[in-house]
Amino acid sequence: MAKPPIRKPKKKVCVFCQERIGYVDYKDTGLLRKYISDRGKIRARRVTGNCTRHQRDVATAIKNAREMALLPYTSTAR
Amino acid sequence: MRHYEIMIILDSNLEERTVQPSLEGFLKVVTTDGGKVGKLDIWGKRRLSYPIDKKPEGIYAVVDLTANPGTVQELDRQLNLNEGVLRTKVLRPEHR
Repeated sequence: MAKPPIRKPKKKVCVFCQERIGYVDYKDTGLLRKYISDRGKIRARRVTGNCTRHQRDVATAIKNAREMALLPYTSTAR
Repeated sequence: MRHYEIMIILDSNLEERTVQPSLEGFLKVVTTDGGKVGKLDIWGKRRLSYPIDKKPEGIYAVVDLTANPGTVQELDRQLNLNEGVLRTKVLRPEHR
């Protein structure tokens, strides 16, 4: 039995740090949509590759946007 | 005095023309108390991601203003008393 080769995960760099974005705006739904799944759930940090601070900022922005019905809490698109 | 950003969702059954004057009426509280109203941005009708009060649509508006905390609280209270207002959100954009 040949062992499957061990894949080294590529290190992701936080997009917000790269672009030097200080404030994540909850009104920018186009941007935030990239950080939710098609079910409407917030993507995990291991998926997005964000740093701690920006992942937290994105999460709060998404939650604010949800309160204002800009983003869904859940979507049953299946 | 602090900088605030208020987002307001209004009932989509309201006339789009009456939105601006009615919002300005609300914002009088701020100006009479010495605050300043900056940008008044009306996005217009937009589909809600989920129904609020069984309504599928709302008229969005975003207001930038500088005022005392008490004044903003009073403004938010008055907005929520109005039936045409579905939802509001007061934020301090610089505050992190």
